[in-house]
Parts: sequence; C-alpha cells; structure tokens
Amino acid sequence: MSEPVIFARGLRKSYGTLEAVKGIDFEVSAGEVFGLLGPNGAGKTTTVEILEGLRPRSGGEVKVLGFDPDRQKQALKNRIGVCLQATNLPDKIKVHEALDLFGAFYSKNVDGDALLRRLQLWEKREAGYATLSGGQKQRLALALALINDPQMLFLDEPTTGLDPQVRLEIRDLIEELRAEKRTILMTTHYIEEAERLCDRVAIIDDGVIIAIGSPRELQQKSATQSSIDISLGQPLPPVELPTWPDAIRTIVSDDRQKISVSSGRPAKTLVELIKWIDAQGLELADVHLNRPTLEDVFIELTGKRLRD
Amino acid sequence: MKAFLALLKIDLKLAARNRTVLFFNYFFPLMFFFIFAQMFDANQGSAILQVVAMVVVLGILGNGLFGAGMRAVQEREENVLRRYKVTPITPVPLLAASMITGVVLFVPSVVLIIFLAHQFYGMALPPQLFSLIIFVCLGAIAFRSLGLIIAAVVNSSQESNILIQPIYMAMLFLSGATIPITYMPHWLQNITQFIPATYLMTGIGGIMQRGETIMANWLSVVALLLTTAVGTFIATKLFRWEKEEKLRASAKLWVLVVLLPFVFLGAYQAWSQHDLVKARILARDLRRGQNWLIQNARIFVGNGKVIESGAVLVRGGKIAEVYDGNFPDAKTLNAEPIDGAGKTVLPGLIDVHVHIGGPGGFYDDWTKFDPAKANERALEAYLYSGVTAVRSVGDKVDDMIELRRRFNSGERLGTELFLCGPLFTAEGGHGTEYAKNMPEMARAGFNAQFLRIPKSQEEARRQVDELAAKGVNAIKGVLECGVPGYSFNRMDLKLLGAVVEEAHAKKLPASIHTGDARDVADAVSLGADSIEHGSFRDDIPDATIAEMKAKGIAFDPTLSVVEGLSDFAKGKTDLLKRSLVQQVTTKDLLTGTEHAASSAEMKAMRDGLSHYPLSLEIGGRNLLKAWHAGIMLVTGSDAGNFLVLHGPTVQREIELWVAAGIPPEVALQAATWNAARLLRADQRIGTIEKGKEASLLVVDGNPLQDVRALSSISNVFLKGERVRRNEIFEQK
Repeated sequence: MSEPVIFARGLRKSYGTLEAVKGIDFEVSAGEVFGLLGPNGAGKTTTVEILEGLRPRSGGEVKVLGFDPDRQKQALKNRIGVCLQATNLPDKIKVHEALDLFGAFYSKNVDGDALLRRLQLWEKREAGYATLSGGQKQRLALALALINDPQMLFLDEPTTGLDPQVRLEIRDLIEELRAEKRTILMTTHYIEEAERLCDRVAIIDDGVIIAIGSPRELQQKSATQSSIDISLGQPLPPVELPTWPDAIRTIVSDDRQKISVSSGRPAKTLVELIKWIDAQGLELADVHLNRPTLEDVFIELTGKRLRD
Repeated sequence: MKAFLALLKIDLKLAARNRTVLFFNYFFPLMFFFIFAQMFDANQGSAILQVVAMVVVLGILGNGLFGAGMRAVQEREENVLRRYKVTPITPVPLLAASMITGVVLFVPSVVLIIFLAHQFYGMALPPQLFSLIIFVCLGAIAFRSLGLIIAAVVNSSQESNILIQPIYMAMLFLSGATIPITYMPHWLQNITQFIPATYLMTGIGGIMQRGETIMANWLSVVALLLTTAVGTFIATKLFRWEKEEKLRASAKLWVLVVLLPFVFLGAYQAWSQHDLVKARILARDLRRGQNWLIQNARIFVGNGKVIESGAVLVRGGKIAEVYDGNFPDAKTLNAEPIDGAGKTVLPGLIDVHVHIGGPGGFYDDWTKFDPAKANERALEAYLYSGVTAVRSVGDKVDDMIELRRRFNSGERLGTELFLCGPLFTAEGGHGTEYAKNMPEMARAGFNAQFLRIPKSQEEARRQVDELAAKGVNAIKGVLECGVPGYSFNRMDLKLLGAVVEEAHAKKLPASIHTGDARDVADAVSLGADSIEHGSFRDDIPDATIAEMKAKGIAFDPTLSVVEGLSDFAKGKTDLLKRSLVQQVTTKDLLTGTEHAASSAEMKAMRDGLSHYPLSLEIGGRNLLKAWHAGIMLVTGSDAGNFLVLHGPTVQREIELWVAAGIPPEVALQAATWNAARLLRADQRIGTIEKGKEASLLVVDGNPLQDVRALSSISNVFLKGERVRRNEIFEQK
C-alpha cells in the first residue's frame, strides 16, 4: 500500500494555556473520503487548518501529500484544494474572473470553462459574486477549490446553511469527486452526510479522537443494541413469551399487536422470532430492523449532539 | 508575478466597477479643482499652479489613506483575504497590486487636472512633465503604503477610521494643501516640516512653478522611497488574512516607524529651513504670477517716452504688453483691472547709493537697535515707498550677500538689493573712522567685512577677485582727503587704479566716492563708472565734466546726504516729519533721532558737523553742470547717514534736483532707466517695456508736473506682485 495522503501522529495545538488539540493520530489513504465529526469547539477546525498549512502546530508529526504543512506551506497549498466556510469574494468580481484569478495563484490549472460547465455555473459566468445564490456561491467555491486539479481536497462544512435541494446537489458533486479517486477530508454537521459520503470518520471531542473507523464499524462498536419491531395481524394471545437467542429485552404493546425485541445479534434473533410467530399461527404484518445511527454513536460517545 | 498581474488586473476591474472609488479618484478632485480655481482666481495668473498642486496632493492623500487603507481592512473583515489565505500566494503580490492599482487609477486623474488647467485656465504645460508624473507616482505609492500599514495595524474598520481621520486631517491642513504654509505662524511652519504631504506640496510646486526636475527634490524623493520601503516591509510582516487575528494596540506604533523618515527629514528641515524657504519662495512666485491690467493711466516709460493714456498688462511677473491709447478689456486678458485714471505708472524707483547698515538716525536706547532686523526693515521700507531696487555701496559684505539672497529670491518681500560690499580705501582713509570707537576685537571683525585696504596693486586685484567670486554687483572705492580738522588719508591712485582695472576685468562697474574737485578729476581719469557725490565744496572744472561726458561716466550727486547732515547739524528735523518717512520708520528711531537733533549730549557732534564744508548749492551747481554737459545722471541718496532714512529716498533726491533746476522728466529718467543702466540691469528693469520685469510704481497725479506726486503712492509692484504695503512690516 502506498504512503498515506494525510499522516498525523501526536498532533497538538495550544493557544497559550488552552490546549485545543491534545495529540491526535490518524491517516487518510489515497482516494479515501474521510470525515471529521465533532461538536463545536472540539478541535476539528484547528486540526483541518493545521493540515491545510494555515496554522502552525504546537507538536507532533504531520505530513500532507508528503509535505510538512508548517515548513512547506506554499508547496502544499499549491497542491491541495480547499473549500472553507464563511469566506467571500469581492462583491463585483465575475464568476469567470474569480476562476482566472485563482488559477493564476497555482502552477497547475484545469480548464476553467469545463469546470464552470460541470458545476452548472456556465450560465452565470458573467454574473457578479454578490448576485449569486447560496448554492451558486458554494458551487463556485468548489470550482475554485478544483482549479488546480488537486488530488487532496479539504471541504469544511460543504453543505452547511444550504437548503435541502442544494445540499443534495453538492453531495452528488462530492460523490463524483470521490469517483474520480480524489482524497477528501471533510468536516460536517450532518450525520447522514457522513454516513453516505465518508469511507471513514473520526469523532473528535475535546481535542482527542474518541472513535475512528468506517461508519458501519462505529455503529457495530456501539453499546446501543439494534431492535426488531414486529407488527402482527391480530393481537397476541396471552401466552408466556419464550426467551429468544441473544434477545435482551422484549416489550409487548398495550394492544398486544406489536412486539419489540432488543438484541445483541439481531439477525439470529430475528430468525428465531419469525419461526415462533409462525408456529403460533399468527399473521406477520410487518418487520422492521433498527440499527443504531452514527448520531446515536456520537451522542453515546460525546454526550453531546452534533448540532447544538 | 503571474499572481501579481492577475491581482492587478482584478483590482483595476473592481475599482472601475466601484462608484466610490471612481468618485474619490476622479469626481472629488475635479470638484475641488473647480472650487479652488474659483477661490484662488486661477484664471488670473499662476494661482492655477497652486490649485493643481493642492488638488493633486488631496488626491494622493485620499487615494492612499482611504483607497488603500480602508479597502484592505474591508477585505479582511469580509473574509475575502481568508479565501486567499488557502492559496499559495503570499501577502507581497496582494500589497503590490494594491499599490500599483492606486497609482494606475490616480495618474489619469492628474493628467486630466493638468489638461483642464491648461485648457480652461491657460496654465502652461509643466516643462518637467515627466519629473512631475514620476514624483506624483512616488507620492501616491508612498501614501498607499501608509494606508496599507494602517490597515495592517488596526483590528476593524472603525479602528482604521479612527486612525486615518486624524492623519488625513493633519496632512490636509498642515501641508499647505489647503492653507498655504506661509500664512501660518513660525512654530506651526516648523511643524509642517514633519508632515509628509508638505514635501508633496513643495515638490510638486517646485517642479511645476520653477521647472525643477525630480533630482532637485531628491531629499523628498528619498523620504518617500524610504516610507514606501519601510511601509511595504512592515505591512508584509504584519499582514493578517483573518479578522479573528488581532494585534495588540501597541502595534499601532508601527505607523510611527513608517513615518520615521519624515521625522528625520522634518527635524533636518526645521533646523535648516530649506524646505520652508522653498515654500515661501513658491508662495512668492505664485503672487508674482498674477495677471494685472493697470488701465487708463499715464505711463512714464523711463527712457524719455511718455504715454499720456494707456494700459500696462502684467503677466507672469513681467510686463506683457504696453498699450498706447486703446487697450483690450481686462476680462478678455484674464487680468485683474486696476484703475489708473488720474494716476501715473513709472518704473520702480532706484537708489544707487545707500548704506543698508547705517541706521539713518539715533536711538535713545541703542539696545533697541538690532542690525539684522534693521537691515530687513530697510529693504521693506524701500519697497513700501516704491523704490524697487537699491545698491548698497559700503556695508558688511557677508551680511549683504545673505540679505540679498533672502530678498532677491523672494523668500522675504522687500526691495531688490544690489551690493558692492566693502569700501576700498587707505589706511586711515575715509571709511576707517566708523570702527574707530569700537573695542579692538569687534573692530577687526567689522573692518574685515566693511573695508578693503590693499597695500599693493597685486593685493588690490586679489581683493577685487575675491569679492567678484563672492558675487558682488559692483566695486566701490574712496578718494577723499577730508578737510582740515577732519582729514583722511587719501588712497594711492595706483592702488585705486588697479582696483578699477580689476573690477572692469571682472565685468563689474566701479563707483568712486569723491570729496573735492581733484578727487573727481582723478576718479574720472582712472575710468570709474560713476562718480559718487562729486563735490559739495568745489565746483567741478569744465575739463573734468567734459572728460566725464566723453568717457560715459555716470554722475550720482547724492544731494540728500548734504541736506540730511546739514539739517542735523542745525538741529532741524523736517525730514523726519515727511509722511512716508513717518510711515516706514520705527518709532524708536524717529524719537531717538528727534532727541539727538536737539539734545545736549549730541551738541558736540552737531557742532563738529556744522564745521564740515557741505554745500547743497555747490552740489546742485555741479549737478546742473553735468546735466548741461549731457552726462548720464543717476539718483543716489547716501541713505543710512543722519536724517537720510531708508525708504522714500529717491523721492527726496528728485525734489532736491528739481529745486536745483533739473526738469522732472530728467530726474525721473535718472531714477529709473539711467540707474538701471549703471546697475547693468537695464535688460530687466528701469523701463516700462514689454518683457521687462513688472516692478512698478503707481502714483496719484502727475509727477512730471509736480514731483511731490511721487510720494502719493497708489500701488507698488515688485516683479509682478502687487505689494500689500500695509502688511510688509508684519512678515512672518
């Protein structure tokens, strides 16, 4: 396997006596979409800005595309694409001018017109920045991040503040970028976004990584059990319920038409459960398997919601 | 470089789309241009130069402080810079693009202003246009960097406003860009020297008004370059991409560091006064550049011609046209009309024989006598009285050279000074008596400045050469043996001959003081250029008169000093009571002289003087004789002697001539054209002719009928400047 695109070992950052990042380790491999999740003030942005070369670290070892972000800032910036939140362009700059301008900052450029077409900004190429909608501005931000054809992209909250339709568009774009085998490091507030887009996520809280892995792995590691919800065609007769394998707890609804079973191994429990219902001659109306979400994992690990 | 060019291109495009930028770079200066042009009567002469300088400096200030300073802060506050931060560019191309944008935006507005001034106000295109543009660009860049350093040290738009406003205001009001520096009190003038914009004003003024090149302003250029370099360097070092990055309040002190070159330059200038002198001269030039039309006046041309009714057009300090009879409307000539009906315009009067250092009288308290102040006052008094040129024929040479530099450059307003410097005389000769009663140390110093006593012809020549090298305008020698009881050693004729010869070799006129008929005869045979005094005790023989005429030697009879000394000996002080004398003489000198003329302590001196043979009658006879012989007459007063007070000397001399039988027109020509010829300045002054300097005297009435009219002064012009006579003694 080739060298990781991002390599961080013992990364630390303090502001005076305040320690914002307390020694974190992670790697991102080529082509991977890596998500950083964490509540506000957890150290996400600080970490990303250190990786982008915007902020010096206080300690630890960091390499991005083989560059040390502190000492090879310019070379690194030349090779990465960054989409920051809360940045602006001059109000009167036109879309194509912004692309030309940013293109001039990099040694390598892609065809700006093609980029505009791809990001559905071609019609707006003569429009001033101030006249663009939120989604258009974000697409332009992505276009600018791509102008130097970067193999490594940093996307900081790429869909925050956008309406749902636009959010979906942007997510599609990110999926396309992933398909192009670009390495992406993103931060997000949207769990479903991370679940859908990220190959791996790291959860940061209070300056340390408290969990790292694929969304599925994190869910499995969760202490929260899956639950099996069953709806019956008729009420359950007053029989004593058996103890199904791996089942932890069984709850029957008041009308006795619903059974909810928590299980450590839901697949195995489910088979036994269905068999029993069938044996009782009951009609099975519906089955639902609920796995724990990343949100549950997050809350479980941090005691905080992602969006406060 | 690629990034810089792209940024520059965008900066320019954005500026072109920004109404505020266009307003402040183009509309705003234009507005001020027309307002100032109106305020300063820019259509009537050189005031337009001042207006252009003011508007250009205002533009540089706005462009630099607001254009660069405010915008940089806004871009940071709006998170535009934050977006640039994640790209590989450094602050350098950003800052450089901002500076160059400012200049590129600004230069067309300067060109536009110059074009408008040329088109609508008849301003000549600056001869050093290239120097002007370069200087303006340097100024714009330096102020841009000042704006950027302010942007670099403030944490918000409000802070930058708070910092920029006082800097802008100080530069606006203390640089001469709105209020001319020469209107300010002295201490404030010195403060202006610490304001960078002051150097923009004097630099632009020098280049536009005096045709200086940029090299003549190298000190200012160095300071501007240093400010740019230090400003850019610090702005790069303190550059912040994000509003969240705050700087300590003490970082604002960096602004002072950027201004450091001007702290040093200001300290130097406050000490040397060079730049202030230049500011004063530039202001003087402007006042000399106004257009005037003196209309419906009688014009005494100076060379014998009289125009009974006509007009004189003054433009650019010169006589632009003399109209005999009809003349165009002042408005079409862009000139301010001055009504001359019932008045006579003459060339400014000239006194070829004064001693600036002589007080002309006495003080009760001699500690009130400040020789330096009295010298200034003398030149001011002459100009007040319409005497626009005087020749010092025996004064401390270095003092006179400094005085001449200050007045003739226009730094200070007063009559034009010509000078001989010291007197050539003999050991124990006339001239040595003045320092007799001084302490020995002081005497040596005084005589080194006041006398030349050559022991050999070689020494005589060397002394003349040294004076020529110092830049004297003429050489003065003394031939005088005095009278019994007041005898002097007479200068050896071989030595004086060497002086005259050497003076001629150096192209300087030689004027010789004479006491008796023999002195006159010897001076004439030595080939002097003028005989000073002639004789008040001997009739000059016809043969001498004839030789004078043949040799073209001028005669300066100085009747005034005879009257003054005789009056004083008699205790008569009518001369002090003449109106102009009262106006120009200090109270201390008037009362002191009045007392001395009657006091007991001075009786011995008065008695002594009364025994000295001084005859106004003989002097007048000699004058008449010379006139009849056709000798060139010139007016001199010997002012500085008792009761011959600096000021309206030529008026009194002419009155004495007319009393002796000389026609007024002859006396007036002697006081103007002839005197100018003796000074070898008749190419410039002495007549009212097209191309001559506009140094004029306008009097009520007709002095050709009654020379007393010369004292009814209506207006005095010096080199085109209409002299504000009532302010002349209150110069800062």
